[in-house]
Amino acid sequence: MWWKTTSVILLIYAIVAGLLVPLKPGIDRISPDSAVTGSRLDVQIHGYNTWYSRGNTSDIRVWLQYDSLRAIAGSGIRVISDTTLAVSFEFPDTLPNGGERDMLNLIVSHPSDGVSLLPSALEIETDTSATTSTASWTDHPVEKLHVVRDFSYPYRNVIYETIRNTYFHVPMWFALMFMFLMSVIYSIKYLTRPDETSDQKAVAFTETGLMFGLLGLTTGMLWAHYAWGKAWSNDIKQLMTAVALLVYAAYFILRASFDEPEKGARLAAVYNIFAFASLVPLLYIVPRLFASLHPGATGNPAFGSQDLDNTMRLVFYPSIIGFILLGVWIAQIRFRILRLQQLADDQE
Amino acid sequence: MNTNFANQFLTLLRKEFVIEFRQRYAISGIVLYVISMVFVVYASSIKVGPKEWNVFFWLIVLFAGINAVVKSFVQESGARQLYYYQLVEPSMLISAKIVYNTILLMALTLLAFGAYSVVAGNPVKDTGLFLLVLFLASLGFSIAFTFLSSIAAKASNSATLMAILSFPVILPVLLTLLRLSSVSLRLIQDTAYRKDIVNLVAIDVILVALAYILFPFVWRD
Repeated sequence: MWWKTTSVILLIYAIVAGLLVPLKPGIDRISPDSAVTGSRLDVQIHGYNTWYSRGNTSDIRVWLQYDSLRAIAGSGIRVISDTTLAVSFEFPDTLPNGGERDMLNLIVSHPSDGVSLLPSALEIETDTSATTSTASWTDHPVEKLHVVRDFSYPYRNVIYETIRNTYFHVPMWFALMFMFLMSVIYSIKYLTRPDETSDQKAVAFTETGLMFGLLGLTTGMLWAHYAWGKAWSNDIKQLMTAVALLVYAAYFILRASFDEPEKGARLAAVYNIFAFASLVPLLYIVPRLFASLHPGATGNPAFGSQDLDNTMRLVFYPSIIGFILLGVWIAQIRFRILRLQQLADDQE
Repeated sequence: MNTNFANQFLTLLRKEFVIEFRQRYAISGIVLYVISMVFVVYASSIKVGPKEWNVFFWLIVLFAGINAVVKSFVQESGARQLYYYQLVEPSMLISAKIVYNTILLMALTLLAFGAYSVVAGNPVKDTGLFLLVLFLASLGFSIAFTFLSSIAAKASNSATLMAILSFPVILPVLLTLLRLSSVSLRLIQDTAYRKDIVNLVAIDVILVALAYILFPFVWRD
């Protein structure tokens, strides 16, 4: 009983914290977003979740960064609104590497919002006739940043608020693997000592695993619709998941193909073990062979270390445990239904 | 005991060849199947570039493989299977069938390769690697299909079951094969293809171990 309570508490916590905790302040875009060397440019910075008017305007600092070493600082910073800043930049005559064009990163350091970064914010093109600028690239100008500690989720430019889906989409796969693993354990148990209970438990866990697979696919498609532009883009992980679900759909067809329940249960148990073994290459080896839109190194099924920060971990791990416990609970109820049906059939 | 197992294995393997030789219509049928499929594929896509060649070739091999192996357990009657059950170790029976089917599939893939090369040309650049891929394909298909056909044969709708059980299970093997085959056709540059071979062999080892352990549970009725 204690674990059912735990599952409810963890899931309520994951839903409340996952949906209510705000994102860190970030930069949405700047306009204009291109410039030529040797010129002076006034830009507007549009923030997201920012409170630029809080604190002292003279404490705000802005840089356009060329690489980890060189940058130029912005001047004449004015706060227009909580989400808009006006800044002027004086560009040097040439790029540090003498190239034709390059992308610059924008860094804003605010006393109460902390540091925010927009990668590849501004495109700069070399104007060969420019010779008059007095500005130059300075080494290590980005310093004395305002480090603010707060309880918030990272701001990412492509996914924005959908980063919260991490707490619901990813735990589905953990729960799915756990359900299928339990199902295989009961199938092995059934083969070593044939007993209706083990078979019904294996079926209940497979059904629950399949449900998590469909939910994971659905949450993933909703997320993909937002982040990748379309719900289904034939990403290798989407394909492999669909195939994995086909394997388990075949499991139920195989069970139903026999007149004698005992024979169906035995052969389905055998297939379940065989299918689980083929699921491992499907989910862990094949995705490494192909490029993927998913985070992590190209096609790497694992999660990249920069995809989670410590605040997210505080919600992510409880959510995984909560969903796994919920899955065991659902499987338990499903098992009881199967057993009652069996008893009713036996009495007739 | 060891010589006993070796004896059982060799006798069973010989039995497979003898049955195949006596029922020549089955093997002739499969050979005809491969050749018709090559022509159907060629006729429906007159211009075959190396990329299409690769995909079509593996589809031919996949379908021919399933059809060649599905009969493994269906062709012999229940009474005769009961007789084997009393005589030999079930694990010896599946091993003999896997080895026999590997040889059969190897012959079929070579035939498909030959026939397809005649009608659609031969774009293979690294023949050694391609032949190795053909062997690994025969091995992988043989292990998975033989074992799954033993399950499917128990049901009345065995042909349908065979397809829905095998396609998803064989997909990781098929995708790895397609990739290796693309390397041998120089469609993609990949210096790390040896890792794919190791992956493929690893999958085969897992599948064969499972088939060996699980077959006794399929066999007894």
